[in-house]
Amino acid sequence: MATQAKLEEKVDVVIAGAGASGSTFAAVLARAGKKVVLIDNGPDWQLTDLISSDLWGRRIKPAGPPFILEGKQVAPIGYHGGWGVGGAALHWFANVPRLLPNDFRIKSEHNRAHDWPIAYEDVAPWYDKVADDIGISGDARAEQLWRPAGRDYPMPPMKTFKNGEVWLKGFAANNIRMVPAAVAMNSVDYKGRPACIYDGWCHVGCPIGALANPQVTYLGEARAAGAEVRAWSTVTRVLTDASGKKATGVEYFDRDGEKHVQPASVVVCASWAAQNPRLLLNSATDKHPNGLANASGLVGKYIMTHFTAVTNAMFDDDLEGAKGTIGGQFMSYERYAKTAHKGAFGSTLLVCGGAAKASGLTGIHNARPDLFGPALADFMKRAVKDFTRFTAACEEQPKIENRVELVTEKDEFGMPLARIVHNYDDNEAALWNANFEEGLKIARATGAKEVWQLRTAMPAIHLMGGTIMGTGADNSVVDSFGQTHEVPNLYVAGPGIFPTCGASNPTYTIFALSLRGAENLASNWGTIAG
Amino acid sequence: MDAMERRVFLKGASMGLLAFTVGGIDTLMTPGEARARAVPFRLLNGEEAETLEALGEALVPGAREAGIAHFIDQQVSVPPGEALLEARIVNVKPPFMNFYRAAIGGVDRASTTRSGKRFAALSASEQHDFIDALRQNKINGWQRPPGGLVYFVLRSDAVDVVYGTMEGYESLGVPYLPHIAPDKRW
Repeated sequence: MATQAKLEEKVDVVIAGAGASGSTFAAVLARAGKKVVLIDNGPDWQLTDLISSDLWGRRIKPAGPPFILEGKQVAPIGYHGGWGVGGAALHWFANVPRLLPNDFRIKSEHNRAHDWPIAYEDVAPWYDKVADDIGISGDARAEQLWRPAGRDYPMPPMKTFKNGEVWLKGFAANNIRMVPAAVAMNSVDYKGRPACIYDGWCHVGCPIGALANPQVTYLGEARAAGAEVRAWSTVTRVLTDASGKKATGVEYFDRDGEKHVQPASVVVCASWAAQNPRLLLNSATDKHPNGLANASGLVGKYIMTHFTAVTNAMFDDDLEGAKGTIGGQFMSYERYAKTAHKGAFGSTLLVCGGAAKASGLTGIHNARPDLFGPALADFMKRAVKDFTRFTAACEEQPKIENRVELVTEKDEFGMPLARIVHNYDDNEAALWNANFEEGLKIARATGAKEVWQLRTAMPAIHLMGGTIMGTGADNSVVDSFGQTHEVPNLYVAGPGIFPTCGASNPTYTIFALSLRGAENLASNWGTIAG
Repeated sequence: MDAMERRVFLKGASMGLLAFTVGGIDTLMTPGEARARAVPFRLLNGEEAETLEALGEALVPGAREAGIAHFIDQQVSVPPGEALLEARIVNVKPPFMNFYRAAIGGVDRASTTRSGKRFAALSASEQHDFIDALRQNKINGWQRPPGGLVYFVLRSDAVDVVYGTMEGYESLGVPYLPHIAPDKRW
């Protein structure tokens, strides 16, 4: 490994990470005429790499990520993480529920957790803009049961299938109104991208461009506007000047182990909620002895996830479970109020109608993880026709003890690995159990012939927090645009900046906040970039 | 991914084959074909392969013939980023061979302690009881990796080779519906 760094030509913006948030920043800034470089640690995936197979689909996920997972309910890294250009958004399920107004003011309304420094109304226009940019199918007017009006989605709802429709009777019997799931997929041809063909392989990457992965949306736009992508390159430090008040670029290692320094006027850390804290903590200097932008001591703190209460069922019907989309066909915010479930606090989002394949983490065999041998073979034959499930996605409250921190062990580039400590508390367990109880009522009202749930371990999905936004360096790492409080030309983008996480899938909000932050940066370039 | 890598990758994926070494030459074939042709293992020794086949078959009927031992042997021999193993999804630290070697060794040690025989030599009902205890972390004296994790990963591997292929979907009567087809078995 070389020790003398190769000095690259200075650019306007260097972005660590080419996933959802990095691609959005890149598109906005490249279109604004800035010279942009995205640096990503994995392959430069193309649509032709996205093979329809649970086995081959594992290639676009991390292999031995540099995290040590601790706690009773470990953080979701392997399945939910990204590896390579496109990041986790290359294999996202593309469910796009919004956060709702109550998510932004939990402290004010319930004296818990944090308020966001902005309101729903500040983000709503960006949700609308993202919908037009990337293409969303759904029924925005139906969602007005629970949220303020916005623009209609640019495409009508997706087609539905029996594996989703069979749940509707059960929800209705429990006074739960379901609406078409909002998804970032094409129900009709959109912006030169074809309509979905409902093959259910979304989770291993959509190669036809019907699903809005970065390659066919913001990353494609960024490249068209001149942004450069450097794959197989790992950013290890953000560099600052002698005063510690200005970021000067990043240090990274290429595939051959050669060290580079990429100077830039603005640095954006867009490497997901786990890696961004690791990067900032590893960028400590004498002016930032506890890690860059960490005067608050909150870099790495308040890691959050969602957890799911899944209800499984078998019906006397061929539900064509392998068809549809992996995310869902119907959704409901009916239990989204923070106190919707007695004795538990936090929002719940209900989703039904995801395709179920024969293998992979979400495969039907894992609906009965206790079965093996001939019993599993028998179950597989029945389940491929009769099986379906619905998911209650639940909100975790931020806890400072849930954290990312460096350890002494180092990776191949000499960068310390990170430990992620994550546990749920009694409140989360109560919310999980309440959703299971309601799930049974819903399922039994459908007429299903078998109903079961797995209550052995709380499954964590999505990773958020770790570099939360707030009003100042006393309570947060960044402001609502992702700009760090201490180093004005250093940004953090992605789910890490959420101060609370609601129960809605995070990627739509990642796009919206990134678009808002990037547009603000572009509009105030002279002040910020200096 | 550069152009050369992508071509190699797509060639393997579209043909549904993995590269096995026969007579010093890399040859594309399915794990089941590799087993049928008695392709030598790259990293597993004979006892490890025997245990792995017995475990796979007890977890998912058909896994032995589908070549679970050849599949895992080939997969642990390639760089972790190339691997198709469920192990990478559940945050197993590479090199993945370390996990499999520890798991297989743990199974045979525990089986010998419990029954005086390696796992492959147990009767079907003994194998069932052993796996049932393994999945519930109820094997006395078991050390790392956790028994429940070993069960989960090996069961997933067995599901992959039996059901996760186009041939597996066909056996279940389910349409595979590929965009980019692994047009034989993968």
